[in-house]
Amino acid sequence: MEHARHVFRVVLVVIVALAAILIGRGFLVPKSHGVFGPYRGDNVVEQMKARPPAHQGAASCTPCHKAKAEARAAGSHKSVSCEVCHAPLLRHVADGKVTGPMPVDKAFTNCARCHRKIQGRPDKFPQVVLEQHVTTRLEGAVCLECHDPHSPKL
Amino acid sequence: MDHAPRPSAAPPPPPPCDAPADAARRDFLGAALQVTGGAVVLLAGLDAAASSEAHHPPPPGGDGYNWEEHRWAYVIDTSKCIGCGSCVRACKQENDVPEGFVRTWVERYISGPGGSYVDSPKGGLDGFPPVPTAFTPTKSFFVPKMCNHCKETPCVQVCPVGASYRTRDGVVMVDGKSCIGCGYCVQACPYGSRFLHPETHTAEKCTWCYHRITKGLKPACVEVCPTATRALGDMLREDDPVRHTIEHERVSIMQGHLLTEPQCFYLHLDMEVR
Amino acid sequence: MHELTGYSFPNDLHVHWSLMIVMYPYITGFVAGAFIVSALFHVFGREEFRPVARLAMATSLCFMAVATLPLNLHLGHPERSWLVMVTPNLSSAMAGFGMLYSGYLLILVLEVWFVWRQEIITYARQSRGLKRTFYSALALGTYDQSPEAVAIDHRAATILAAIGLPGACMLHGYVGFIFGGIKANPWWSSPLMPVIFLLSAAVSGIALLSILYQVVAKLNGRSIEGRTVAALARWLWFFLILTITLELLEIIMLAYEKSESWHIISQLLTTRLEFSFITVQMVVGGLIPLILLGIVVLMDKYLHERIRNTLCITSSILLLIQVFSMRWNIVIGGQLLSKSMRGLRSPYSPEVFGREGVLMAIALVVLPFVLLWLFNRVLPIFGDDGHPPAAGQGGVEGGAATEARAA
Repeated sequence: MEHARHVFRVVLVVIVALAAILIGRGFLVPKSHGVFGPYRGDNVVEQMKARPPAHQGAASCTPCHKAKAEARAAGSHKSVSCEVCHAPLLRHVADGKVTGPMPVDKAFTNCARCHRKIQGRPDKFPQVVLEQHVTTRLEGAVCLECHDPHSPKL
Repeated sequence: MDHAPRPSAAPPPPPPCDAPADAARRDFLGAALQVTGGAVVLLAGLDAAASSEAHHPPPPGGDGYNWEEHRWAYVIDTSKCIGCGSCVRACKQENDVPEGFVRTWVERYISGPGGSYVDSPKGGLDGFPPVPTAFTPTKSFFVPKMCNHCKETPCVQVCPVGASYRTRDGVVMVDGKSCIGCGYCVQACPYGSRFLHPETHTAEKCTWCYHRITKGLKPACVEVCPTATRALGDMLREDDPVRHTIEHERVSIMQGHLLTEPQCFYLHLDMEVR
Repeated sequence: MHELTGYSFPNDLHVHWSLMIVMYPYITGFVAGAFIVSALFHVFGREEFRPVARLAMATSLCFMAVATLPLNLHLGHPERSWLVMVTPNLSSAMAGFGMLYSGYLLILVLEVWFVWRQEIITYARQSRGLKRTFYSALALGTYDQSPEAVAIDHRAATILAAIGLPGACMLHGYVGFIFGGIKANPWWSSPLMPVIFLLSAAVSGIALLSILYQVVAKLNGRSIEGRTVAALARWLWFFLILTITLELLEIIMLAYEKSESWHIISQLLTTRLEFSFITVQMVVGGLIPLILLGIVVLMDKYLHERIRNTLCITSSILLLIQVFSMRWNIVIGGQLLSKSMRGLRSPYSPEVFGREGVLMAIALVVLPFVLLWLFNRVLPIFGDDGHPPAAGQGGVEGGAATEARAA
């Protein structure tokens, strides 16, 4: 075995290197890894707290905008959330305080998204061929000249 | 074999001292190193084993939400969808989805005996335009889609670093801090629901608005849908309507032949839908 | 099935796996293929490969050194790539990379050490100063050049080559598995994928060595061993036949079963991939080398040396292109079809500059040859008489030669 000394030496070097790697790995594995499964367990809570919820639903508008909310609830847009034509509540209110004006999309394109006649929508759903429905030019907030967005049915 | 050095070469250094004491010292050192190395390896292994013990660790905290008490599932009634794209816009605003990508989208199918046509302009973000078709259409409908949060996820299976995972309450998510941006999960998803974020360079997809549902809210897409096409439900709740639908009505899933066990269930699907 | 009008899922519009992911299997293919050539001598003792064995081993090592670069250049977060080794998800074929790469690298480095050990000792003995320290450290402080030690070196090299052969096969086979295991993509999902990748790697490795052997011999003014060239051509032809057969078989099977995906795959092959698949991979890169090499192998007796060598080099160059196009067609081709199975994306053209660009790809292929040149400076591959020293030996003759050079 005298002549195999170099073999033992190289094997020793390899073992030391492997041990160093394994020890090093122990320090590098994130602490919460493997707690719930083969992933970093802390991320679950991080995802829960990833961002404050932006939408709060139509009911959250009622306390300050009673009249509009009641009109909507009685009209044909009762299932259309305020946040569809306006923006998520977070753009307007944060921590119970108003932070800025609530954006609103008044352009006809917004109404057209639901009500322009195209293939695909259920037959009973109210749709119109816009070019025939609008007698003036099809531009800007032309739909609102006749329809109240909160209770649109004439 | 001639071991003697050439005359013109400088005398080689004397070979390492072969005295017995030195040899014994070297052997001892070698043995000691090996034993130490082995012990350290063993300790490192034990430490790893201890930390991965998963004997009922406490559920991740956060506002009294216990993930053991929920199993989320989703139902989509495609006969109700009007293709308004409000869900796509709400998701974009709720989750800061980058332009050019979608976490949820709506597809339109127009078919007739002469052919079929499918489109999803910007995922349905601005609704759908009227389109002429080369054939005479006899049926058309919309199909909203998103990550199916499969039980047998092909995406979690292929993530090399364990950044993609499925929670105990059935939501598949991506740990943005561990993701290395290799894109393997994007390739592996049969539904096209994943993408690599152009700025963070990590994988992203629909999370069923985990930051909302753990607070008792609905996902943004469900919240804004004007025709009650979409619904998220809890399979562990007795009186849950989504659970009732899944258990009692004829539901379909996407690409069932791949056996991914998706948790998004569809009503009134058509053979054209893949 | 109705007439398809192209529709791709909205998220499917981007080709995420770029030119770098085409380069990665290309480079690891050379690693595996070169090692196979080396193993043909070290494990199977085929004497006609002795002249190329050390060159093949050094080539394998130099390409191995570069192998991680295309991956790191592609990753969204290369600074986190060590996570693949630290928290690997064992169900992922990609996680296997860490272990397979490290394991095979270890075997290869050890084998190089055993094969070149005698020269290392000789240089350690004969050099001065920094060079001496370097070679002494490399020799790990043992200077045993006795016949018994040499025999042990020889044995160790054989054993390592025998372990390294499946290691090299797995290093490249798992790359094929990465694609083959994706059921979401019908162009990739096939049990044949790892086998095709591996056989294709053998083709690329043997082709590369065929070229390298002749070029290096010409550069150093040495003669080219006819036996070696003929043997390389023979094995190259054999692996080429297997590769082409399996590549065609995959397509034939898909076409025969006419599964849903065949509709879009046939469109893919005849539109987006028409040039790269049919023209380059099958005809120019497949059929022509098949014929040329067939001539070399079957008409060996009647061919003049020059003609045989030229035919070999020509076929090898064509095959290097073929193997690249095969990787391209699989990696890029697979992403050109949308998961909707109804549409194809617009064709992908890689950027020229940028970290995933064409220039970078060229640099990645050139770099191993630079490393090979450096390797030869530190541990000469050939002895001065034009032939590599006998494996495990070469201490004294090589020593005399280098000493004469150093003088």
